[in-house]
Amino acid sequence: MSRREFLLRTIKAGASLAATCSLSYWLYDSTGPDPSQNGDVLVTLPDFSIPGLDGKMSIVTGQDRVGTVDRALKVMGGIELFVKRGDRVLLKVNAAFATPPMLSATTNPQLLAEVARLCFKAGASSVVVTDNPINDPASCFSLTGIAQAAESVGGRVLLPKEGFFKPTTVPDATLIMKWPLLYAPFKDINKVIGIAPVKDHHRSGASMAMKNWYGLLGGRRNIFHQDIHNTIKELAMMVTPTLVILDGTTTMMTNGPTGGSLADLRQTNTMIVSTDQVAADAFGATLLGKTVAQLPYISKAEASGVGTADYELINPIRASTG
Amino acid sequence: MSDISVSGQPTKSETYIGLGILLALVGIAVGVFLKQSHYNPAIFLGSAPRSGNAATSTLDLSGDTLIDLAEGMVPLSPPEIFGPENLSDKINGKAELYLSAGFLSLLSQRLAQKGDPKSWMEVLVYDMGTIRRAFAVYSIQRRLDAENVSLTNFAYRTENALFFAHGRYYVEVIAAVTTGKMGEAMQSFAHRFMKKTGVSEERIDELTLFPREHLDKDSIILLISDAFGFDRLDNVFMANYSLEDTELTAFLSLRETSSEASGLVAAYHQFLIENGGVDVKSEITMPGAKLVEILDTFELIFSRGKFLAGVHAAENKGEAERFAGALMRTLSGARP
Repeated sequence: MSRREFLLRTIKAGASLAATCSLSYWLYDSTGPDPSQNGDVLVTLPDFSIPGLDGKMSIVTGQDRVGTVDRALKVMGGIELFVKRGDRVLLKVNAAFATPPMLSATTNPQLLAEVARLCFKAGASSVVVTDNPINDPASCFSLTGIAQAAESVGGRVLLPKEGFFKPTTVPDATLIMKWPLLYAPFKDINKVIGIAPVKDHHRSGASMAMKNWYGLLGGRRNIFHQDIHNTIKELAMMVTPTLVILDGTTTMMTNGPTGGSLADLRQTNTMIVSTDQVAADAFGATLLGKTVAQLPYISKAEASGVGTADYELINPIRASTG
Repeated sequence: MSDISVSGQPTKSETYIGLGILLALVGIAVGVFLKQSHYNPAIFLGSAPRSGNAATSTLDLSGDTLIDLAEGMVPLSPPEIFGPENLSDKINGKAELYLSAGFLSLLSQRLAQKGDPKSWMEVLVYDMGTIRRAFAVYSIQRRLDAENVSLTNFAYRTENALFFAHGRYYVEVIAAVTTGKMGEAMQSFAHRFMKKTGVSEERIDELTLFPREHLDKDSIILLISDAFGFDRLDNVFMANYSLEDTELTAFLSLRETSSEASGLVAAYHQFLIENGGVDVKSEITMPGAKLVEILDTFELIFSRGKFLAGVHAAENKGEAERFAGALMRTLSGARP
């Protein structure tokens, strides 16, 4: 090989390397994949609250969930105040685990059936029941009794499917951004009611009304447990419900959120219904023997304008079913 | 051999082969580009639960084994195996408790009594790798007022469930009904499980080092990491004592060397001071011992040989000092 040929080949090799590097740099995406590039438009949930009915809350004591939820709604003006003729209602339950109802790790089926029945009685044209338990949704809905309860009163259970998710970014959020949201069940829905049990939670200290929206997230959502309090705050910012129903009839005091033993439970005989999910959780904390200061997400949600941590300020109506 | 060029110029064959290789590389690059364009990190689930298969589990058991161990029962669901990457899919927010304790894998299955599908139980076998880790998750979740059972050194039952640690395994058997028949089925499963695994019972020596007087034996727990909020304080055993007019928590931790133990005393003392603690003059005469008042409680820490030990969050200074003396005497007779 001559010197001239060597130099020419070196230049060619250098040019090839430079071209490869330039192409790689041009193709490099420093921000990572964007779900919206897949044809999915970012979605956000509409505001499902009813103007003029903010800051309403009732706390009813009693052992029978059907009786306490009926009374709690009645003292707030009746379910008709929140659900009108022709409304399409979505009930967001907690069906996170395939456990029997007696363990109170999930939404109680009798309570769910009663709320769905009341919605139909008020004239709702449809009631959809949904949640996204990542592991084995069919078993979760079946073994908790939620599926049977919903169907027994004419409700429709929507199990999560891959096509049901759309990317969402919560306005002003720093965590829930371009994240898969269980969106399809919200199609044509105009009223949303969250129904959750009061539970201890290993990471957040408590799982109640606000944490219940976690079940609307898809993907590898467990990463949110690393910053659980801000995540719950953003969940509360993500969903503005018509109502939340916090079931403190039997409270999971320890070993939450799974529980597993009846020894984890305590009868606290309280039903909370509220248009203010922050106030509902603040009161729910007392059933767990905790203060608002011990559950930082409550104050964070309040600071974000979602609701009121000092529930006494909204003058909750107290009653008892005896 | 005739195709090989000796003049420095490629032959036609070499050119075609070269072009073929380049085309293949371009094809691969285009494929990678198209595939990664459709990749969604949030929806992609690389950690879906697998069906029971011993080859993919660190457990010595397979899903088939669980049903074999349950006499008179039939599968209600297929066996599932979870690893650290997807444990939260199964137990959600409780996964961190197991992960921080060194969790390896979980094998679970729901089983129902023959002819009675409403009478079912779920078996969850956590492989924690060592008896200590298994004890850690067992002890920290122990239910109050539970009934001890003579199944293993660490076993209790509640109205609807049976919990035990056996060697490297922590096992939960949770029933959907509270019938006597189901109780027997749970016990039967546990006995067969122990026989099948063939794990020998191992001792945890630290459990015998707490002074016996006034000790609530069932209160002993093992904190694998971040004990008392201090990230350097790991593998700490804690025990509760009910004294005449107060309650008290003692702790101890075996370290690698005595200098590590004494160094950790100094580090934990510093941690307490940095978080608002105040040194308090103590009546005790242990070299290197520290007594700190913090949040209206007293923290007394000392080292004895390879042991770091002390009294945590005591309400009464005198009781803390008296008990620390008893704990030190017990540790003095111990052989780490």
